[in-house]
Amino acid sequence: MKVVTGVVGNDIHVVANRLIELSLQARGFEVFNLGVNTYLEEFVDAVIETNADILLISSLNGEAEGWCREVKILKAKYGNLLDNVVFMIGGNLVVGTGSAEDIVPRFKNYGFDLVFHQVDLNTGLDELEKFMKERDK
Amino acid sequence: MSLLQEERNIILNNEYVDNFDFAEVEEFVKNASKDLFISYNFKTKDKMLVQPRGGFPTYDKMFALYEFFDKANVDVLPCTIDSNTRLNDYATAKKMLRLSEENEVDMLNGYPLINHGYRTSRKMMTHFNKPISLRHGTPDARLLIETAIASGIFEIEGGPITYLLPYSKNFPLDKAFLYWKYVERVCAEYSKLNEPINRESFGPLTATLVPPCITIVIQLLEMLLSLEEGVKSFSVSFSQTGSMNQDIVMGAVLRKLAKHYSEEIGVTDADIHLVYHQWMGAFPMDQNYASQLINMSTVIAAMVGANKIITKTKQEASGIPTKEANAETVANTQYTLRILNGLPNIVDKEEEEILTAEVMAIMEAVFNDPADTLWRKVFNSIKNGTIDVPFSPHIINNNEMITVRDRNKNIRIIKRGKVPIPDRCFEYEKNQCDLNKDTTSIVNDIIHDIGIMQ
Repeated sequence: MKVVTGVVGNDIHVVANRLIELSLQARGFEVFNLGVNTYLEEFVDAVIETNADILLISSLNGEAEGWCREVKILKAKYGNLLDNVVFMIGGNLVVGTGSAEDIVPRFKNYGFDLVFHQVDLNTGLDELEKFMKERDK
Repeated sequence: MSLLQEERNIILNNEYVDNFDFAEVEEFVKNASKDLFISYNFKTKDKMLVQPRGGFPTYDKMFALYEFFDKANVDVLPCTIDSNTRLNDYATAKKMLRLSEENEVDMLNGYPLINHGYRTSRKMMTHFNKPISLRHGTPDARLLIETAIASGIFEIEGGPITYLLPYSKNFPLDKAFLYWKYVERVCAEYSKLNEPINRESFGPLTATLVPPCITIVIQLLEMLLSLEEGVKSFSVSFSQTGSMNQDIVMGAVLRKLAKHYSEEIGVTDADIHLVYHQWMGAFPMDQNYASQLINMSTVIAAMVGANKIITKTKQEASGIPTKEANAETVANTQYTLRILNGLPNIVDKEEEEILTAEVMAIMEAVFNDPADTLWRKVFNSIKNGTIDVPFSPHIINNNEMITVRDRNKNIRIIKRGKVPIPDRCFEYEKNQCDLNKDTTSIVNDIIHDIGIMQ
C-alpha cells in the first residue's frame, strides 16, 4: 500500500517525520515522504501523482489547525480522484492545549478519516492498519 | 577595484543598511582591542573558554543581557541573530524591532544586527572588551558578516553545510557554498589587519543520532573550505553524543585529523581549536536533572580537552531561557571547570582506529570526486549520498543512513546507505548492537535513543 506523508505548514520538526517514515516502511508500506514544511496542495498533488492509498499528515507545533480547515474545499476541487484515499492526521494538532474529545470531531469535520491528537506513533499506525483491513473486507 | 570589492559594493547597497565607510571600518579593525578577538583569547587565556547562547531584539535588552553575563564571568559573549534576518528578510525584522521597542514584548528571537546597524552596535560590542561570537544559521550571510565585523564581532559561526542541512528544506546548496566562500574571503582579508578573525563550524548538525564519522567529515570539509580562502583561525566543534567514551574518542580523532588534512592542503600556519557543545538533544523537563546533565557535559568537555564550551540552561526544555538562567549556567560551568583538576587521560585505541578509518574512507571518496574544486566535490558528495546526515530536513540529503545506540549508548551505524564506510568498520558497528529484533522494535529503539536524556 502506498502512503504519502509529511509535516504540514512551516513546521520543521523532522525527527518525528523520519520516524513515521521508518515505522511505515517497517510495516511494509511504500512511503513517499514529502518531509517538513509541506503545503496542503503539495500533499494532494503527490497523492494523485503516486496514486497513493493513504495521506498521512503530521504536525507538531499546532500549525495543523490553521492549514487543515481547507481539506474539504481542496477535496471538492479534485472530484472523485480522491474518493478512495484515506486522509489521516496525527501529532500535536492545536496551539496551546485542547482535549481529544473536542479536537477529533473538529478535524473529522475538516475532511479527515482518522485523527490522532497526542497519540503514540505505534498506536496510531495500529489503528490505521485496522482501519484499512476493515475497509478492504 | 578588486573583484571582491565590487561584489561587496553590490551586497552592501541595500536599503536597510547605512552607507558603509570601508576606510573607517578598516581603521577600526586595525586598532580594535586584541581582547575582542577570540583567536587572541585562545592564545593567551590558559583555560577552556565559556560561552552561553542568547540574543534579544532591542539594544537595551541586549546590553542588559551582556551585563548579566559579564557579572557571571563569561569568557565569550554570544550574539544570536533573529530568524527573519537569517532568511534575509530585513523588512520584517525592522517592523518587529519597532514593535519590540514600542512595547514590552519581544517580537524577535534574536538581535537584528543589520537593522541596528554597525555604527550603533559597535558601541555595545566593544563596551565589555570581551570576544563576541556571531550565531545565526544564515545560508546567505554576506551582508550580516560585513556588518558583524564592522561592529566588532570577530568570530563567525556557521558554514555552507552545517548552517544548511539541519535548518533548511530547499535552499540551494550550491548557492550556500558560493555565499560562504565570500564570507571566508572577507574574514581572511580582515584577518590581515590585526589578530585573525575566527571561523567556527557548527558540529551538532541535527543533534539527533548523528554518527561521529559524519560529524567529523563535515567539520574537516568546512575547515578546509575556510583555510583554502585564507582563514588563519578556525574552530571545529561537536556536541555531546550521549556516550562519554564516544565523545572522548571523537575529540581525539577530530583533533588529529584536522591537523592531518590542513597539512595535506599545505596550511601549517592556521590555529585550529576544538569547541564542545553541551547536550543539544531533547532536554529533561525536570530542572534538577537538566542541571546535572549540564554539569556532566562540562566534565566531558574537560576530558575531551575542549578549548571552548558552549552552554545550555536548565530551562532548555521549556522554551527560551531567561537572562538569569543563562548567567547562572555560565557561573556554574566556570565553577565546575575550576574544581576539575588532574583528570585521567582516557584512550580507546580500537574505537579511535575504527573511527579514523571511517572518516578517511569518506574523505577519500570526496576527494576522488572528479569535480575541479573542493566545494564542487563536497556538493557532489552530498548530492550523491557519500555524505548523509541523519534527520536532515533538506531535500538534497540522501536520508538513507540509519543509526541506533548500542548497550553503552554509543551511536552506531546499522544502515550505511551510500556512505562509503569500510566493510570491516561497518561489521564492527553492527556487531555492537542487537539487530536480531524485528524492524518495529528497532524503530522503537531509535525513538527511545533520541529521548535518552529525558
